[in-house]
Amino acid sequence: MSESNGTNKFLKAFGIDSQSRRRRDPLNVWVPLISIGLALVVGMIVIAVSGRNPFRAYALLFGDSGLIPGGSAWPREFAELLIKSAMYIATGLAIALAFKGGLFNIGAEGQFWVGAIVATFFGYWSPVAGAFGSMATALGSMAWIAQLLHGAICIILGMLAGGAWAAFAGFLYVKRGVNIVIGTIMLNWIAWFLITNWLVTGPMTPPTQTFTSGTYYVADTAKLFRIMMPTRLNTSIILVLLAAYATWFLLYKTTIGYEIRAIGHTANIGMEAPRAQGINVNRRIVQMMFFSGCLAALGGCFFILGMQYQFPNTATMGYGWTGIGVALIGQSEPIGVVLAGLFIGALRTGATSMQVANIPKTFSNIIEGLAVGFIALQVAVRYYLVKFLQRRRAHADPPAEQEAAA
Amino acid sequence: MKALEVRNISKMFPGNLANDNISFSVEKGEIFAIVGENGAGKSTLMNIIYGIYTPTAGEIYVNEQKARIRSAEDAIQLHMGMVHQEFMLIPRFTVAQNIVVGDEPRKGIFFDYTRAVREVKELSDKVSLTVDATAITGDLPVGIQQRVEILKVLRRGAEILIFDEPTAVLTPEETQELFVTMRKLQSQGKTILFISHKLKEVMDIADRIAVLRRGKLQGIVNKKDTNEEELARMMVGRNVVLEIPKVEASVGPVAFSCHDLRVKNARGMETVKDVSFDVRGGEIVGIAGVQGNGQDELVNAMIGFTRPTSGSMELNGKSMRLVTTAELRRQGMSYITEDRARRGLVMPYTVRDNSVMGQHLNAPFSKGLRMDYNKIAEFAEGKVKEYDIRPGDVLDTAGSLSGGNQQKLILARELSLPHNFLIASQPTRGLDVGATEFVYRKLLEEKKSGKAILLISLELSEILGLSDRILVMFEGHIVGETTPDKTTEEALGLLMLGVGVDRKVVS
Repeated sequence: MSESNGTNKFLKAFGIDSQSRRRRDPLNVWVPLISIGLALVVGMIVIAVSGRNPFRAYALLFGDSGLIPGGSAWPREFAELLIKSAMYIATGLAIALAFKGGLFNIGAEGQFWVGAIVATFFGYWSPVAGAFGSMATALGSMAWIAQLLHGAICIILGMLAGGAWAAFAGFLYVKRGVNIVIGTIMLNWIAWFLITNWLVTGPMTPPTQTFTSGTYYVADTAKLFRIMMPTRLNTSIILVLLAAYATWFLLYKTTIGYEIRAIGHTANIGMEAPRAQGINVNRRIVQMMFFSGCLAALGGCFFILGMQYQFPNTATMGYGWTGIGVALIGQSEPIGVVLAGLFIGALRTGATSMQVANIPKTFSNIIEGLAVGFIALQVAVRYYLVKFLQRRRAHADPPAEQEAAA
Repeated sequence: MKALEVRNISKMFPGNLANDNISFSVEKGEIFAIVGENGAGKSTLMNIIYGIYTPTAGEIYVNEQKARIRSAEDAIQLHMGMVHQEFMLIPRFTVAQNIVVGDEPRKGIFFDYTRAVREVKELSDKVSLTVDATAITGDLPVGIQQRVEILKVLRRGAEILIFDEPTAVLTPEETQELFVTMRKLQSQGKTILFISHKLKEVMDIADRIAVLRRGKLQGIVNKKDTNEEELARMMVGRNVVLEIPKVEASVGPVAFSCHDLRVKNARGMETVKDVSFDVRGGEIVGIAGVQGNGQDELVNAMIGFTRPTSGSMELNGKSMRLVTTAELRRQGMSYITEDRARRGLVMPYTVRDNSVMGQHLNAPFSKGLRMDYNKIAEFAEGKVKEYDIRPGDVLDTAGSLSGGNQQKLILARELSLPHNFLIASQPTRGLDVGATEFVYRKLLEEKKSGKAILLISLELSEILGLSDRILVMFEGHIVGETTPDKTTEEALGLLMLGVGVDRKVVS
């Protein structure tokens, strides 16, 4: 009794208490699960049609995805799974948050890279890096404090920059009526070409290296802590879980979230209801885009400070695009986004070893695409699911009138 | 001959018996009305007859043959047609295109537009319903659009026509025209089912009237053997005071005033012209007028949605120039809208979450950034009891409530805001007798407590019954000011239509 009270108090401190729970629609859980199931089945057919053994393909795909413990390779695969997932969850959260507010922030990709380049810069820029370097030396065994601070500064500045990049699209939308999809997609390309064609090959490249080698490497103090040696697993997964919690809290516990969701629910009918009740819709939209951009940029910070330690010249786009699928599969709910991010991370991790067995890596992309496709068909999935459930219920207990009539 | 008969129809929704063992029959060539409050089960019943819902039990007979109606296609096959409340027309299509869409005349694989126009002209001559076949549908008045909808149904061979609340979107004159149309159809042997909650109209047009209450058939009466009061009693199950009691209140200081106000609509046309008036505490000022004479634009300017092009407005002595909606509400403005779905409520939000929108930043509903949903739920539960909002679970979505209960929720929210000026824009639109009476009572309570109220309404009885002063709006101008004891419904009606108004003033 007292223990459960303690648990309740603990949950309450995080804003989770039974009184304020929402009524949930069980279909929100079933639709993504069924969509993934359908995707796996259709994926099997596709593999079989191409003349390969689908069971062997799936065994390799999921066996090496890091989801199933066991084997000597597992710790490395598990680490890869979490590292990848952390980035997908970050961009997925960014897009989910904007979806909740009724906007399609297709610019998570650009915001991701803006975050990455800013984190890179403050990771190596000598006034900052030097200061934290000497601080680390001075602290000796307490050097981790310098690493914590430097990493935090890089992430915070990266997030602010990504947030500002997204907020600009929000500003154009509310002040000039520039469609948010058009605005963010334009800003994607502006960010991408500014970074890869200029910064990474110009001002941020060390003079002693060739132009193909990317930017300076960040200082050791800027790197994320590793938490499972010898793998390269780092704190990104913990940070992204905190970000998911923060997103949930923002949406469901704060006045801002209340207003954002009200705006999102009425976005396709002109948002008149929230406006008539005195909600400053324009300000909230810009703020929401800012938060969304911050989340996407967090993923970019992970990419640099947890994996690459520099902005490589070989970086390819895709993290923001993947986030769209993650947000869709996750039904735009933070917890759903976390699970969907892990699922996509697992597919991407396992894909590499599938390739070893001469099964093209693209098959995992096909499954991913199918899952998103079935989610997009969720109206249909919902319709048939409801029909199916109704029929089952009708069989279970026929209505009294019919019995009486018979 | 019986054109349509339903026997023992029941429809069970989860937790709600929408139709409970309903039986009636309609003679060929009859106008049969079905009346009932919002949520009494009228629409459910029509949707069953038209094949959109499957009944839980019961049978339907068409022309004395047992019919299996599983879809709207089946219903059309059986020569039934539904004229929907919200028209299913494509605004950019011409009238002819809209009428033939789905069953187009062809020349080879191509759409034969010339033949479509000819067919539509022939049809409209045959049933003597005049329309311009080549006009763009979206440019036509609502009454004519409805006529297009009727022609579309007739072209598919409908013999039984179902009209689902057809007058909800019409002006009084258009309603009269519709009734002329319905009588024409009747004289051509068509059978008409007419669904309404407006007793006056039903008494005007119907031959027989079926009354539904909470899913049950209360009775079927002949028009000539009944009257409005009896129907109202059957509908709500008690005596309804349709008479509005007089409430005296002492008139206080000016709460709202505007001077020489000019406002443009979304298309840049000036629809409010040189409007000046004021509203004092303890009085209800009614604005009468046919829809579309500048009322919407006036309200939009008052609530800060659009900026007037010239003129000034003051709320409690302070200029409203460049002030946001949020600021107006802080300064004491409350607003009841007729557009509950778009403007009044966030439909997917729960009753709880809707109940505090606009005051959610105030204590105790939030503290700093954090919402206190427990406090909000307590507040909402109190309001649900006080205003008798049904079914009464604060976690139900606003969209799942009936129109009357949605309006109660809006009233609960707006009247609990700190305010001294209330804009009530068509506050009883689409409401049944019971809910209408409730709204009247609340407005009079407001007046008694010294609030200033601006009532905008298309219903003359409402304007005459509630207002202390009446302004008549016509083509953007205030063309007359009077009091209820100095005028009549007829005199107001003429003024609303611009009869006797000095044309020079208006243009």
